[in-house]
Amino acid sequence: MNSKFIFRSILAVAVVTAASCKPELKTITPSKGSADFSRYIAVGNSLTSGFADGGLYLEGQQNAFPLMIGTQMQTVGGGTFSMPFFNANQADGSGYKKLTGFSATGDPVIVDVPAQAAIGTANVPGFGTVPLFTKYTGDLNNYGVPGIRLNNITLTYYGNLNPYFERLLPNTSPANTTSYLSFVTAKPFTFFSMWLGNNDVLGYATGGAAVAADFPTDKALFTQIYNGAVTALKTGGAGGTGAKGVVATIPDVLSTPYFTTVTLTAILAKVHLAAPTVNTIYIKTGAGTTRPATAQDYFLLPLSAANLIGTTTNAPYPYGLDPRNPVESKYVLDQAEAAVIVDYTNAYNATIKAVAASNGLALVDANALFKSYAGGKIVNGAAVSAAYITGNLFSLDGIHLTPFGYAIVANEFIKSINTQYGASIPTVDVTKYRGVKFP
Amino acid sequence: MKKILLSFLLAVPILGYAQSYQVNLQGQKQTAMGGAGTGVALDEAAVFFNPGAVSFLKKNGVQAGGSAIFLKAAFRENGSNITEYTKEKLTVDPSVYAVFGNPNNRLRFGLGVYVPFGGAVHWDPNWTGKYTVTSLDLQAIYVQPTLSYKITDHIGIGAGFVYTNGKVDLKRGVPLTLNDGTSATAQLKGHSNDFGWNAGIYVETVSGVTIGVTHRSQVTAQVKDGDAIFKVPQALQDGFPTKFSANLPLPATSSIGLGFYPSSKTIIAVDANWVHWSKYKVLAFDYNNNSRIPNTSSPRNYHDGGALRIGIQNMATERLALRLGAAYAFTPVGKGYVTPEVPDANRILLSAGLGYKASERFSIDLSFLYENVKSRNETNIETNLSGDFKTVAYIPGIALSYKW
Repeated sequence: MNSKFIFRSILAVAVVTAASCKPELKTITPSKGSADFSRYIAVGNSLTSGFADGGLYLEGQQNAFPLMIGTQMQTVGGGTFSMPFFNANQADGSGYKKLTGFSATGDPVIVDVPAQAAIGTANVPGFGTVPLFTKYTGDLNNYGVPGIRLNNITLTYYGNLNPYFERLLPNTSPANTTSYLSFVTAKPFTFFSMWLGNNDVLGYATGGAAVAADFPTDKALFTQIYNGAVTALKTGGAGGTGAKGVVATIPDVLSTPYFTTVTLTAILAKVHLAAPTVNTIYIKTGAGTTRPATAQDYFLLPLSAANLIGTTTNAPYPYGLDPRNPVESKYVLDQAEAAVIVDYTNAYNATIKAVAASNGLALVDANALFKSYAGGKIVNGAAVSAAYITGNLFSLDGIHLTPFGYAIVANEFIKSINTQYGASIPTVDVTKYRGVKFP
Repeated sequence: MKKILLSFLLAVPILGYAQSYQVNLQGQKQTAMGGAGTGVALDEAAVFFNPGAVSFLKKNGVQAGGSAIFLKAAFRENGSNITEYTKEKLTVDPSVYAVFGNPNNRLRFGLGVYVPFGGAVHWDPNWTGKYTVTSLDLQAIYVQPTLSYKITDHIGIGAGFVYTNGKVDLKRGVPLTLNDGTSATAQLKGHSNDFGWNAGIYVETVSGVTIGVTHRSQVTAQVKDGDAIFKVPQALQDGFPTKFSANLPLPATSSIGLGFYPSSKTIIAVDANWVHWSKYKVLAFDYNNNSRIPNTSSPRNYHDGGALRIGIQNMATERLALRLGAAYAFTPVGKGYVTPEVPDANRILLSAGLGYKASERFSIDLSFLYENVKSRNETNIETNLSGDFKTVAYIPGIALSYKW
């Protein structure tokens, strides 16, 4: 053993360590697989547009899940992803809801932030007055239109009725004659996401099944239009050479906070503070009968904010506590109505899955995804659930998502695209996105 | 011999210092020799390495030293293409020893102050795993008065009483959004004062080989009334705690070491450590206000860990000592339990060092230790944080000693 050897070894250790100063992980190279993301378009409703907190506003748009996907696609050859942003000076857009605190009893205090992009109204013959928003005229990749139903996408006059669609179209209502499907396919594209169908049941559900015009779209018609939409999108638009895509099922609306926050137990607990002997809440069902509510009936979120239970403002009998003044049908989705929602949702989802399979499209089972989060899940150390306000998943309207929730959705789309097309688009870091803002 | 040493170095892909939050840097000579030192009576650091060997030291002395730990950990979430790194954060691990009493007597005295547990891991406050941890600063200072007694000319025993002063400062994000869009945060800060012991036996065999066996007891760091600083939305502040208590085990280590003396100039030390990490079952925090958050109990379920160490010292000249070492440490952290505050895995350690005797009384020792913690793809069963971890550390150190 001589010293020279040890001395040389000391030098060797110095060289080895100096050569690897930083901890290195195996390099990964994102790939587009068999798909082409050079022009990705997002087709859908409010969820696609970035709608949150009961409105469409700039911050929500900036956290729209297709924008997250489009940005990640740029690592595998994707093009620019343009959003129909509201102008910065009209950032509050359509207006939205904001949490300002909690009442003494722990109820959230929520106020409306007024619209900034509403610039007037138009009169549409045979339909009435519709609001108008400041137009968006730039490049467009996110075609999400809040409120649109699948059975609206082929209607040529629909652009006059929906202000969110109207602001993307060249003409001012009532001069528009382009259907939604024609509009999105007017330019060539290589990849699409389509998440439509939610509003075909949602409006009926959120209205307490009280508006007949909101009844879910006929199942056969749904299948027919869905097939037509996919066929049109697969062509890759006018001048296109075909497109691949991803579609998603419809979440179970009944597991959203809009339907799960105000429960019979919660109402009774509050009533018991003043009237400990009351054990029955009366509701008016969709069929017009008055009966005691059960745990199978859903009370809607706005009932809480309306503060009606037990009041005698409009009748001599306390609201909801007396069969002669039951909780109105618009605040209740009774057991029979809920069954209709479930039946239609299941039927639509069977269609969506079948169409995806037969067309070789990637599928996101959003219904299963939301169910998996409903009872609570830990994501990177953060508790995520369908709990209203504190669950991190749903925004203040109880139906649309928080940026955190949209990031989870974006990653599901990315994973599904990666699986179907052998791609490796990197996922987004969900913890970079916020939940409900607290004061 | 050199061939054996060389082939050992080449056989181990690239060979350390620690396991989880245990830090093995208690002597510069030993650090330069792969952390081995249980079976040799090298210097004053024997107070830590083997109290039984203290009575075999030929001179009395004091030494003071420290190692600077440059540790960098990397994490890449599964599915992502972004690698995140911990921030450059220098921590210093000091050790001070004194040995006194008449070297001709059977009974000798020792005092050691050292830091066998600690860590400083600082991720970006907004990193992917922020809701699990953003930073951890941990330090347990041990003070050990020691008695060492030669039962015969060839057998020594020794024992020390250990007082431990611990401090912990843990920060993480809280998944609630403040009005400015950023996340709420929590900081848990506390101190502990606890006791333990360190005992060893040292034997010179007729063959010339020396043998040491030691056991350092577990110390359970008990933090009571620590400060829980929750920076949460004002509307929710009343429901959050202000105080916490927690227990953190600083596990026992049993070691056996051998010393070989192939020439008058050369010492080879070989150690095996058994670290009783299996006592670390949960990391639990109890709070003084549970209206918003419950007490937490995060599973750790460590199993016992260990390390094999080998080191060599060669006197190049009368004044200059050259040292080299290598070690392999087996992680106590099982699959599913890796956390970013201690992204542990099996690790390889390579070390080197110099000792220079400036005069009969003064000497200086330098060491350099490189630790390569293997990369590990993990999904934590509690937090679901899922991705690749990789850590390396560079640890230069220096000690000055005065002998009489």
